[in-house]
Formats: sequence, structure tokens, C-alpha cells
Amino acid sequence: MARPAVRIQVVQFGVLVGLALLVGRAAQVQILHGRRWAEEAQAQRTERIVLQARRGALYDRHGTPLAVTQETYHVGIAPNELRDPAADGALISRRLGLTARTWQQALRRRYAYFAGPYSALEVQPLRSVRGVHLESVLNRFYPDPAVARATIGRLGDEGLGASGLERTLDSLLSGRSGAAVVLKDRAGREYESPARVIAPPVAGLDVVLTLDAELQEIAQRALDDALRRMDADGGDVVMLDPGTGEVLALASRQRDGSARPSAFTDTFEPGSLAKIFAAAALLSLRRVSPTDHVSGEGGKWRVLGRTITDEDPQPSLTLADAIRVSSNIAIAKFAARLTPAEQYATLRDFGFGAFTGIEFPAEATGRLRPPSEWTRPSAASLAMGYELSVTPIQVAMAYGALANDGLLLQPTLIREIRSAGGGVRYRHRPEPVRRVVSREVAVALRNLLRGVVERGTGTEAALTNFPVAAKTGTARRVVNGRYAAGEYTASFAALFPADQPQLVLVVKIDNPHKGSYFAAQTAAPVTRSMLEQALAARTVALDRARLSTAAPRAAAAPADDEGGLVPYVVPWPYQPDSAGVGPRRAVPDVAGLGMREAVRTLHRRGFRVALRGWGVTEHTWPAGGDSAAAGSMVTLFADPHAADRVRSRGAAPPRRGPRR
Amino acid sequence: MAKGRHWVALWLVAFLVTTWLVYARQTAAIRAARELADLRARRANLDGHRADLERRIRAAESRAVLVPRAQARLGLHLPSDSEIVLVPAPSGSR
Repeated sequence: MARPAVRIQVVQFGVLVGLALLVGRAAQVQILHGRRWAEEAQAQRTERIVLQARRGALYDRHGTPLAVTQETYHVGIAPNELRDPAADGALISRRLGLTARTWQQALRRRYAYFAGPYSALEVQPLRSVRGVHLESVLNRFYPDPAVARATIGRLGDEGLGASGLERTLDSLLSGRSGAAVVLKDRAGREYESPARVIAPPVAGLDVVLTLDAELQEIAQRALDDALRRMDADGGDVVMLDPGTGEVLALASRQRDGSARPSAFTDTFEPGSLAKIFAAAALLSLRRVSPTDHVSGEGGKWRVLGRTITDEDPQPSLTLADAIRVSSNIAIAKFAARLTPAEQYATLRDFGFGAFTGIEFPAEATGRLRPPSEWTRPSAASLAMGYELSVTPIQVAMAYGALANDGLLLQPTLIREIRSAGGGVRYRHRPEPVRRVVSREVAVALRNLLRGVVERGTGTEAALTNFPVAAKTGTARRVVNGRYAAGEYTASFAALFPADQPQLVLVVKIDNPHKGSYFAAQTAAPVTRSMLEQALAARTVALDRARLSTAAPRAAAAPADDEGGLVPYVVPWPYQPDSAGVGPRRAVPDVAGLGMREAVRTLHRRGFRVALRGWGVTEHTWPAGGDSAAAGSMVTLFADPHAADRVRSRGAAPPRRGPRR
Repeated sequence: MAKGRHWVALWLVAFLVTTWLVYARQTAAIRAARELADLRARRANLDGHRADLERRIRAAESRAVLVPRAQARLGLHLPSDSEIVLVPAPSGSR
């Protein structure tokens, strides 16, 4: 037995060795492997999460939301955590719309997951239920899914734009995701503590489209009614503002009820719609005078081995007559005065055979063959609108050039791009493509088209008080490369009003089976119905100040023509020239003003005002500084807290006078 | 010896105060986080409510709903252009 002193020394030595080992191990863990262990610990108790960026919204030209992003929820249920499975189950089943069988199956699982997505309203009562775990996720929401569905498009499974404008504008709308770190416990559950944000999400840009929701609804309903009434295979309606190239409405429908964007992608032979372009070439090149006549050949003319016929034979026709009664014989004879190169160049200048450049992911060019590929009858065929295929949007833009005094514009669906804070990043300005015909020729062509509605094939589109210029087109349909017997495309292109047009409408009805197949009886009445509805609509983008002067027919009409009806216009106060045509004017910047003052300011500038919200004016559509036609609608967005936001954007504090 | 006890007591009190401060701060942070989560939930709920109301309003004032009702209940009809009155803005108001 060793002495006590020795034993103590042994113990001390053992303790020292132990301490040394401990210190050594600590040094190894902390210093040598410190970084690795720290990373492992960090990974165990924290998690990096992706903060979804809000996808930008799509609005119509008046600020009506067409596509917005909202918080929705996936719901997870842990059955073993439920306090009262029977009562909680009844509530959960009711809110999530689960059947009893589905709920019973969920109870047998360790963790049941319902992807939904469920709205905040649906899950609100479940927030306080123990065992219910909500996972928020941003989701795309279309307030009125039927409106312009094919044009707006949809998102794919990955949340990226899969079709339509959602696809074209994806890089602008999607924003940039952020990242954050959250603390979690041993079991991997997140602690109830604020996340540490590494990079905040950047919301996508909001896009204001040129579409007018009300006109869009008018177009869709009119097209649906027409297809049902005529038992047609499909159809398209395009409406645009010829002064800016902005597309106001686009409706497409097929027999099965589907709505693919056929106004951009499907081509057709325009038939008599194209006669006006032959007339444009003839007038521009001075190959015809107003008094030139050609024989109507009794309605049947054999030339170059084929027979051309007219539905309404005339003994002798001028160019105006040829357009008015849509004479194939006369336009073929007049077009013979053009060289193939001239005829081709005119059609090409009007935009046929080329992309229009509209912001849509798919667009057809149509077909316009160069003169080197023509056969002998090609010149006559092209003058009558055959051997040429076009899309409805191309026709609308070409007629828009006639309405716009001969200037072809690039069509657009995008009016404004705004940041999430409301600042304007982009504002559409009309983009001229080329001058197609001179102003004088454009006016002459509009007069020819006016004759169509007043005394020709387009009388079914005539309005009592407003002059309309238009052209009918009824063309045989090509099926499997051959003209199909008894199948026709009825189309109608109209300028409203005939003088200084504000609206171009193109209506196409594919293969109407019931009643007449002629455009005069099918597409023309649809156009008139849409125009009447547009005139009666509250917010449609028409300059009514200009329209009120555009009714010389009413002024000249006898008072008893429409017994008991109200006269078309009431000048107030009466001034003979009070409604003179005014230029487009700048919208005053009323951000930060009280609503009353803002409305007064806008009224003083000659705008009509639609109110959204209340409080202090936040912004307007069109935005301050943008130009808009006098008498057009300006939507005013107000918010009780707008003054703070306006200040934070660097604007002046609430004020009493407008910025000019 | 008594002086040593005072120091121990002082350190003990300091330790307790520090611990209590940490505890109180964390409790307050968790409470604030809960309130924030509640507010976010309420905002999401109100946003959802607003969206639902907007959707219902738009559906109710759409032509598909309004026109048939106006025709059936009030005997109204879609006006022809001759029945539409356009009142031009007085020139002085521009």
C-alpha cells in the first residue's frame, strides 16, 4: 500500500492528464475542426428558406385587375396533435371541402397534406386549431377567368408564364425571389421567431394592358351569340384604336367553346376585305380617276381560263361602285392596270405576309407570294382577296392605317409598365411602321368604305346617327388544300366613326351553317350590335366629345324619322361649335390631392373620372403626364394612406393645387 | 469572510438579472413574432375577403348578369345608337 502522499500525487497526475486530454480535445474541436462543426451545427438549427416574390399584376387600361397574385395555403394535418378529432375533423372537412371518406383516410395517416390551394378565407377558422399546419404560397388569381383568357394566357406548373401575355411578359412579371434564415428545433420544426432576411424578395412589375375589359366583354358576348345563332365553326373579333395601335379587345372562340388565340395564329383568305388595298394602289399610283368606268359584263366574266362572277351584277361600275357592291369583275379589271410588283408592294406595305410585331408569343405571318411565284390569274385573285392569307390582327392594322390617314402603326397590347411602388417604367407611344398611302388617298379610301355602309353591301352595319365606314368579305374556305364546297368565311372590317375613326373592328365568322353565309348578313349585324353596346357603355375608351360632332347624319335627318326617340346629342350649354375636335391633352398629375380637388382638376381639363377607393389620390390611369383624348375616362385611385406613400416616393406633401 | 459572501451574493444577483433580461427579451421577441404572424394572417384574410368581394362585384355587374336582369325585371333593352345621348363637355370646362 502506497503512502497517502504518493496516492495523492497519482490522483493529481490522473486529473492533470484528464484535464490535458479535455483541453486537447477541446482545442481539436474548437480550433482544428471548429469551422466544420460550426457549419454542421448551423445546418442543424437553421434553415435557408426562399421568399417568393409577388408576381406583377395585369390590369386593363382602366385599372381593372385581370390577373393578380394572392397568398393562398397548402394545409397539413397531424392527426395525433388534434385535441378533439371529431369536432376538429368536422370543421376541417367543411372548410377544405373534404368528403367523410377522404377525412377518414387522412386520419389513418401520420401526416395528411392537402395541396389546395385554399384561400385565406377558407383557412381562417383553421388557424387556431392545434394540429393544422398552414403553408402559405403565392398563387395566380384571375378575377374574371373568362375575360381575354387566350390573350392573357396562364402559368405553368413551375409558376412561370406558359402561354399568352403571361409568357411574353414573364421576365417582367416574375420579380426576384429572396432568401431568409429561420431557426428550427431538433425535430426540424421552425421556431416561432422572426426570420433573418438575407435578400428581400423583389416584386415583379405591374403591367397595364391596352385591353378594355368592358369592350372585351362586349366582343366576347357578341361573338358567342353570333356563333350560337349561326351555328358557325368559330370566329374572331378584334378592336383597336387606330390612332395609337392599341388593341382594345380580342375575342376568339371555336365551336367546342375553346378560346385559342386564333386572331394571331390562324390565317384566312380575306376575300373582298382586300379589295380596298387594290383600290389604295390604284389611287396612290393614279391609275384610275373617279369617273373611270368598267363594264360589269352582266355579272359573269371569263378571263385567263377562269370565270369571275358578281353577286350583284351592274352594267357599268366606277372604282367606288366596285367597292360599294363588292364587284369581283370590276376590281379585277381595275387591278389589271397595276403591275404585279406594284400590287405586291402595296399589299406588303399594308403589313401582309409579315409579323405585325405585337407582343404575343405566337403569331402567323400569313402568306403573300412574291410576283415571281404568281400564275397568270394571280393579279386578279389578289385583287379579290384570294391567293393571300392573313390574320385578323393584320387586317385590323391594315384598316387602322386607312383610319390613321395612311400611317401604319405597330399594334401593341402593353400600355404601361409600373414598378410595385407605382412608378411608371414604360409608357407606350405610337410606333409608326411606315406611311402606306398619302393622307388624301386615305381620306378617299375611307369615303369609298363609307359608301359600302350607306348604299352597298354593308348597310346592316349602319347606325342611325354615326357614320360608319366598312367593307364586307365573304370568301370560300380552304380545307385540306382545296376550296371546300359550301364552306365560307364571312368577315367585316369597320372604321367607327367614318371621319376621324376612333375604333377599328374586324369580325370574322368561320363557316356559318344557319341562314345566310354572306358577311353582309352575318358579320355586319354583329359589328353594329357591338358598336351600339360600346356607345352605351360607361367606361369604354371612346372620345365622346369628338363623337358628339361626328353625327352629321342626325343633324340632317328629319326630326320625325324615329318617332318619340331622344335626339342623339344635347349640346349643353348650346354652342354651335362647342364640341370642336380637340387634340389629345396631358392628364394633370393629381397624386397627393384630396379626391374632391383631384376630380375637379380632371373635370376642368375635360376628362371624365371613375373613382376607385377613397381618401387621398394615389395615382391615376392614364398616369399624370400621359396624354389622353378629351372626354375620355380617367380612373382615379385613392387611398387614405396615399399621402404617406406619395411623400415616400419623393413627391410633394399633400397639396391643394395640381401639377401641370 | 463576510466580505467574500457579499461578492458572491453580488455576482449571483448580477447573474440572475442578466438571465432575467435575456429571458424577458426573448419572451418579448416571441410575443412580437406571434403578433406579427397574427397580423399577417389577418391581412391575408382581409386581402382574400377583398378579392372575393371584388370578384363577386365584377360577376354581379358583368353584362352576362346585368343585361338579362335589366331586361326581365325592368323592361329595359340595349339602346340603339339613336337612343344614346352624348352630352359634350362645355367648352369652358376644359
